[in-house]
Amino acid sequence: MNKDLGQFLDRLAQQRPDDLHVVEREVRPADFDVTALLENLDRANMYPTVLFERPHDVCGDASRFRLVSNVFATRERCALALDLPVEDAGLPLGLEFARRETRSMPALVIPRAEAPVAANAATGASASLHRLPMVRHHEMDLGPVLTMALVLKDPDDGFYDVSFIKLFHNKEPRRTVITIHSPHLLRILEKYEHRGQRAPFVYVLGHHPAFYLGSLAMTPFGTNDYDAVGGFLGEPLRLTPSETWGDDILVPADAEIVVEGEIIPGERAIADPFGEVTGHYQAQCLRPVGEVTAITHRDDAIMQDIFPGHRGHWNLGGIPKEGSIFNAVERKFGGVRGVHMPYSGCSRFACYVSIEKREEGRAKMVGMEVLTHTKFLSVVVIVDEEIDPYNESDVIWAVLTQTDLERDVTVVKNAESFFFTAMGRSKLIIDATRPTDYAFPATNRIPAAALERMRVDEWLADRSVQGGGWSR
Amino acid sequence: MERVFWVACPQCTGRFFADYEELRFADVDLICPFCEASFPVEESPEIDDRPAH
Repeated sequence: MNKDLGQFLDRLAQQRPDDLHVVEREVRPADFDVTALLENLDRANMYPTVLFERPHDVCGDASRFRLVSNVFATRERCALALDLPVEDAGLPLGLEFARRETRSMPALVIPRAEAPVAANAATGASASLHRLPMVRHHEMDLGPVLTMALVLKDPDDGFYDVSFIKLFHNKEPRRTVITIHSPHLLRILEKYEHRGQRAPFVYVLGHHPAFYLGSLAMTPFGTNDYDAVGGFLGEPLRLTPSETWGDDILVPADAEIVVEGEIIPGERAIADPFGEVTGHYQAQCLRPVGEVTAITHRDDAIMQDIFPGHRGHWNLGGIPKEGSIFNAVERKFGGVRGVHMPYSGCSRFACYVSIEKREEGRAKMVGMEVLTHTKFLSVVVIVDEEIDPYNESDVIWAVLTQTDLERDVTVVKNAESFFFTAMGRSKLIIDATRPTDYAFPATNRIPAAALERMRVDEWLADRSVQGGGWSR
Repeated sequence: MERVFWVACPQCTGRFFADYEELRFADVDLICPFCEASFPVEESPEIDDRPAH
């Protein structure tokens, strides 16, 4: 059975039913119904995948598509997407991600007659983005936005590059403004623009979550992402000729909905504000314009969406980087115990690394290596191996009690950065490891033998208290 | 650090911000995210384009 979104949701319903909520009432995604519900769940520390059975489209009419969001909002579900046990949702998930980056699998092309996504096709004036249940996410957003993955084919070498890209709603139903930040996609788009050619694009609105996780692999420019995705799916990605360009441009055969279109060379239009991954809005700006040529979808298709600036969005960026940072630092220094990109840093700005500290000064060297790994990072904190980098409270404790501000905090100024924050182009390395070159107090500790002797599951197996009777 | 500037929509008075380098002095109308009105920057009843320190 080929992997698709519906299969993943079925598996979720069977194996982790609390992880999937279904909303059967009508909702208006373009009027904040979806994100308001997700925000309320977030405030209650609940992060289920939510399937909306009866969303309205942008025009306010009942959409023919269902809508799902929050698929990536827990690391456990991301682990499940890669067929890992949920117990491996911490560092093992990042390491497995890094391993699969090197496990490419050639895609498989099937005829359109066999491709689920080609079962229904709208072309010409019928190919209207207004018929999709597009979500308006935040109050100052310019309008409803599609938040999934865009595919471009390199015009020289023929490889496909896939990355998360936003498509903005426009008053004209077949027109959209496309905000491309991915360096690889921008390089490909520039090639088309220099030639004055329209760039064919494919937008994938729903697929198995491993498809999207694979699209985020930190592979070099020139990698065929369709093949890379196969390594994450654990099977070849099935492709089929597109509705618009036939064999010249291939589309994922098991997608829910595919939007095909062309980016017009040199044309720019207003995009944003948009509430971004950082928790701040992206400023209004000018971005490329696309024209839709076709929308194809499988029967009973489910459109997928990401809740920007929340856990699903953060996991998609953080998990891929944890594994690759671990491997890079381990190769260079050894002794790495853990790497975590915490939610407090939107899984982009901050990285906590625990190491076996073999000599004084090692932590700062590790911090410099981590900083150069991705320009997203603003703060790197290095802690001792006893500190779990997934336990932020312990990490901050180490910073507050073991960091000498005079020598253990390093500010790197005027370094390349990506996001708009008040830190600007400055970056910070904090060595929060216990000093070893002068007399320093020891950390409180319970003897290991006593901890083993007094196991909670043995001593407090029956924790119920009935009757009381202690008041005097 | 990138630079932004704030404007107010002349139609609905909704305040939003835009990229300074691309739009502060460009011959392009801004679009209000609250009422969809288009307007040139100079028609904004207020403009806050103070740079960072």
